[in-house]
Amino acid sequence: MKRSRLVAGAVLLATLAPTLYTTSAHADTETTLNVWSWRPEDASAYKDIFAVYEAAHPNIKVNFQTYVATQYPQILTTGLTGKNGPDIVQTQAYGRLQPFVLGGNLVPLNGKVSGLSNIATANLGGSSGHIDGKIYGVPFATQTIQMFYNKDIFAKYNLSVPKTWANFIKNNDTLKKAGVIPMSVGAKDTFLLPLISEAFTSAVYGGPAFERDVLSGNKTFEDPLYVKAISTFADMKEYMPDNVVGVSYSDSQTLFISERAAMFPGGSFELGFFQAQNPNLKIGTFQIPPPPGSASKTGLTPTYVDGSWSLNAKSTNQAAALNLLRWMASQQFGQLFSNKLSQMSPIRGVTFINPLLAQMAANAKRYPAPYLLIADFRWAAPTGTDIMAPGLQKLFLGTTNPAQLATALQTGISTWFKPKK
Amino acid sequence: MRKAPPSGPHTRKGGVRLSRSASFYFVLPAVLIFGVFILYPMFMAFSYAFFEWHGTARGAFHGIGNFITLFTREPYKTDVPRAFSHNILIFGAEMILQNTIGLGIAYALHNLKRGKRFFQTLYTLPYLVSSIVIGYLWTLMLSSTFGPVNRLLEIIGLDKFALPWLGDPRTAIWVLILVVTWQWIGFPVLLYGAALGGVPADLEEAASIDGANRRQRFFAVTLPLIMPAVTTVSVLGFIGAMEAFALPYALGGSTGSPAGSTDVLSLVFYRVAFESGDSNGTGISSALATLLFIFIFGASVLATGIMRRREENRT
Repeated sequence: MKRSRLVAGAVLLATLAPTLYTTSAHADTETTLNVWSWRPEDASAYKDIFAVYEAAHPNIKVNFQTYVATQYPQILTTGLTGKNGPDIVQTQAYGRLQPFVLGGNLVPLNGKVSGLSNIATANLGGSSGHIDGKIYGVPFATQTIQMFYNKDIFAKYNLSVPKTWANFIKNNDTLKKAGVIPMSVGAKDTFLLPLISEAFTSAVYGGPAFERDVLSGNKTFEDPLYVKAISTFADMKEYMPDNVVGVSYSDSQTLFISERAAMFPGGSFELGFFQAQNPNLKIGTFQIPPPPGSASKTGLTPTYVDGSWSLNAKSTNQAAALNLLRWMASQQFGQLFSNKLSQMSPIRGVTFINPLLAQMAANAKRYPAPYLLIADFRWAAPTGTDIMAPGLQKLFLGTTNPAQLATALQTGISTWFKPKK
Repeated sequence: MRKAPPSGPHTRKGGVRLSRSASFYFVLPAVLIFGVFILYPMFMAFSYAFFEWHGTARGAFHGIGNFITLFTREPYKTDVPRAFSHNILIFGAEMILQNTIGLGIAYALHNLKRGKRFFQTLYTLPYLVSSIVIGYLWTLMLSSTFGPVNRLLEIIGLDKFALPWLGDPRTAIWVLILVVTWQWIGFPVLLYGAALGGVPADLEEAASIDGANRRQRFFAVTLPLIMPAVTTVSVLGFIGAMEAFALPYALGGSTGSPAGSTDVLSLVFYRVAFESGDSNGTGISSALATLLFIFIFGASVLATGIMRRREENRT
């Protein structure tokens, strides 16, 4: 009996031995890289994208983990400061990147990621340290700000893409008269209001020319043109949904997707979502033409860097993570990213198969403008967007006016911003 | 004949008497969990508040600099008092609503012959659901564009009451208060229900024989006897109101929309720590958390002490 048990044990061991060997050999060579993102809605596309890298690098497994955007900042802080954190993380651009740069949580990538030279310097600004100027991330997307419109609704009411401000207002009046919400805006959630306003205001205050003036101290936000720009946006309230301050951002998206609203001012990041939610929606885009008296003669397309992929300084897989990051700065990654997610990769040579994306990118190239409050006034508290977001809401509520809001902005940023004369 | 329970040095009333060291080991896990997840972060936040921070890296000792910043620099010097006033308003309204409606429901259920458990469960259900879920559900219900509440009001001809509930600063804070009350009403109902169950029936009977009517019996006999429950509900309500985060966040976002009308201190803390872009966000937010803790702890201890003394004087 005892002997037969011994034999059975030996047979079992012999059977398992190859498995045990394989498992341990596998564990020895395979490296898992943890990549964190605030985009749960993009998880499936990213899994496909990273599958391409995994196929070319059999020993690397990319574990793509997503967190809800609203909880991501504190999860990221914990992940980057504690042990066993992620290897590569999605980081926000400009001012929101700085706490991690100052905290030494990210690895500077200068001279380590050759693909960075394939990204325009302006786009690297959002991924750089404000004080040391070093690059701390590979920018993954640039976003443009413009107006989306529903082609079917425009056709139904014989409307054409407006070339002048008068056309634009006429279109709005026609739609309103017909009982269609001319443009869908949600002002209950404030975080996107500064971005939405930029679609209207940039050409009025003069985009890049005003940026130079305000940075050099030749002008301030109390400049009549900037006040006029805010005023132009405030005047659009009559074309927005009733009780616009009670309309949430997601409600505003639904109004456009469900074809109850004809236009939607917003960022290029909306396109993929709109098309996924309603594949039958015939969408077009245009730059809003400037009203008379604007600084710019043409409409402008404000652009900004959405965020970057950064390397955790505490990653225990520095070499493998850096290799992955190098690939994420390559044209192949940029093309996959753009194709799968309908987003604009900032990497040179990437072509946009989505015609609307191509159109928005072309506008941004031809009529460039910065998203001023993000690019230049988000470096310390109170940030430009932190002042403007609730301020624009108050504007719609009638508890402030454009001149007061411009003064509040100037006063707020003056506590830390010093012009470079 | 029933056998007497074994007695001896290691037993007590039929149970096992534990030695001092055994008791220590039983308490240890709870103490460890409390220490690691409550005390340690609390002391860390307290220490963070006295340093200047550069992002996530601790800088030089800053004394009370971060505390001064909270009251002297924008946007903190506007946001903190405004948010604090909302916390106090929520507490005041909660005190009134929970102690009246909650006690009223508990009293009605106490006198109910059938269905008591069913209604108790019904009133308790909302507070078993996550506040974030409750908040988003009410946001959908009260949406001025797609919400069923306004649609219903329009159908029954009350169009003028179909308001942008969460889009108007005059209504948003009251919506927040009502949703908080709705979610938590089951808690005072349960506490008051238990307290009412503990009131000796013979006292009420005696008062009744002495000619006291229902109202007199309630205010002269029942209410004084359930005052400990009122103290508990009030103090826990105070702590809940001062710490409110999930519901205000779900209803008005991190900025306390609209126009800061639903802003509370925990939202200010969240914004400063994670959204402000202030390189010293950790220090300033820790200072705010420290002040909030001192206020909640101090006021709770004080209020409990005063109310308990009053209860003792009555008895």
